[in-house]
Amino acid sequence: MIKPKVLGFWFWAILLCLTGCQPALPAPVAVSEPEHFAKILYPEDNPTTLEGLALGKQLFYDPILSVDSTISCSSCHLPELAFTDGRSVSVGINGRIGKRNSPGLANIGYLHQTLFWDGRADDLETQALHPVADPNEMGGSWPLLISKLRRNENYWPAFQRTFGLIEIRELTPDHVGKALAQFQRSLISSDSKYDRVERGEADFTEVEKLGHAIFFDLADEPDPEFHGLPTGECAHCHIPPHFTNQRFFNNGLDEALLLEDFKDIGRALVTGSVYDNGTFRTPGLRNVALTAPYMHDGRFNTLKEVISHYNSGGQYAENRNANIFKLGLSPDQEGALVAFLHTLTDSSFVNNADYHQ
Amino acid sequence: MKYTSLFALFSVFFVLACQDDDYNPTRSENITTTIQFRAEYDNTNLAIQSATYAYPTGAELKATLFQYYISDLVLLAADGSEVGLSDIELIRYEDATADNIEERTYDVPSGDYVGLRFGLGVKPDLNATDPSNFAANDPLNENEFWNANARYVFAKIEANADLENDGTFDTGLSYHMGSNDLYTTITFAGNFNIDGDGDPQLVITADMLKALSDGTNTFDIADPDKQRVHGGNQAVATEIWGRLVSQFELSLQ
Repeated sequence: MIKPKVLGFWFWAILLCLTGCQPALPAPVAVSEPEHFAKILYPEDNPTTLEGLALGKQLFYDPILSVDSTISCSSCHLPELAFTDGRSVSVGINGRIGKRNSPGLANIGYLHQTLFWDGRADDLETQALHPVADPNEMGGSWPLLISKLRRNENYWPAFQRTFGLIEIRELTPDHVGKALAQFQRSLISSDSKYDRVERGEADFTEVEKLGHAIFFDLADEPDPEFHGLPTGECAHCHIPPHFTNQRFFNNGLDEALLLEDFKDIGRALVTGSVYDNGTFRTPGLRNVALTAPYMHDGRFNTLKEVISHYNSGGQYAENRNANIFKLGLSPDQEGALVAFLHTLTDSSFVNNADYHQ
Repeated sequence: MKYTSLFALFSVFFVLACQDDDYNPTRSENITTTIQFRAEYDNTNLAIQSATYAYPTGAELKATLFQYYISDLVLLAADGSEVGLSDIELIRYEDATADNIEERTYDVPSGDYVGLRFGLGVKPDLNATDPSNFAANDPLNENEFWNANARYVFAKIEANADLENDGTFDTGLSYHMGSNDLYTTITFAGNFNIDGDGDPQLVITADMLKALSDGTNTFDIADPDKQRVHGGNQAVATEIWGRLVSQFELSLQ
């Protein structure tokens, strides 16, 4: 007969052992979001945690993700350039030239629809999986990378803490994608001059105000202040607060008498539809003055060139968006649009120490 | 006595375990019902981009976008009550790989109905609301507003036209409409029963051409001043809007 006291001792001892052997739960983090944005839609299986945020940031800046440990995410997404790289198209391992311009990451967590210029990733978690095995980017393979991370004395414990892993074989590419997504969802820009004007804390200069009126087609508004002004038609697609509608359009960059004439078919690579040839995802414009060069192939070096393109009405293709047409902007009005776009620069975003290595 | 109690307890567990997990005593009152929103061009299935359509003036069109908001979608019950199905829906056709049918599914109480009603556009109280107040994936946060301030674009028709019949669709047509003044309630009469057994398919059809031409009056797409209607020239939009409102049809199939 075992005495009750002894039985009680063993009960608590076993319970303590069982709970003590469980990995500590990661600590949830509520990333601060501005009031005037609709909240980020977090996936149920990847809430942001203290551990995940730190791990995601470490991975983002670590070239371990590439096959020869020379290229990290940050090679093409530099925080001081609003997470772009200043190149026409990205450069990967061994100087290999990529196909597309590196997109900025400001407010990327708010973009809940597809990602990449052609929309080939459904969310941030899966987006992060693409560059690792792309021969023109990181040039590696997931089995190789996962093997490296499992053996790494820093990363394995970090993955354990973040995702509650016990066995080393439990670590998969999904965990890497989730950690990187957590970090990227924290990259929030909401304190540009545009935001401060919206909040009533600042005023546009006269030139910026003119550009703002052209950008938002205020000539069409009942208020007569801007009647007679050309409309820029920009906000059909570049809609605030993130200045993108996340959809795909042909904005008249290349002439295509036949839809099959496009060299880079863009969205059609994903949909397989010829009618999507030459269409690309509308990029967000926050910090756009820092993200030159522009367009999916980086063909325009300056914002002035971008505005001149739209002012011209672009090149013919039968799927050119119907809102692309000759605008009739004067050089001063073109300059005003550029001035307005500069008000989307958020220095507190690019200088945020939390985002830097 | 002890065994009797245990047997009773076991019986309760057994009966509970054998019950269908989905058993719901109220289910018979609600029937899952799908409403189809069908888009057409001149009484044929609307095909985004892939079809070339004749326009009454002799021009040809390729449709690129047809969309509209509806508010307060309700079924009108035979007993005079109303069954609210949805506050707001955005019906959009823009994908060349998709068909011309958008579906929405609702739980509808079984019973006899005499009609259906909705408001075309975004009802005034929602139209006064900041899009950012809604979830990022809400129909009211689908980036269909005029500018940074709330005021939704109720409907859009976009196409590329070949005005000269030279094989190039080089004239963009872009009609964006929306204001509280344009908001219009549309009511359909039609008797139907929903009981889960052979229920009719409710189909709401909108015809893009009929919004531009009613057979007698045709919107002049060759006039440069009528090739786009955005925020300011809503007086021009009124002509299209009036036809758009009047051409909706409800069919019970």
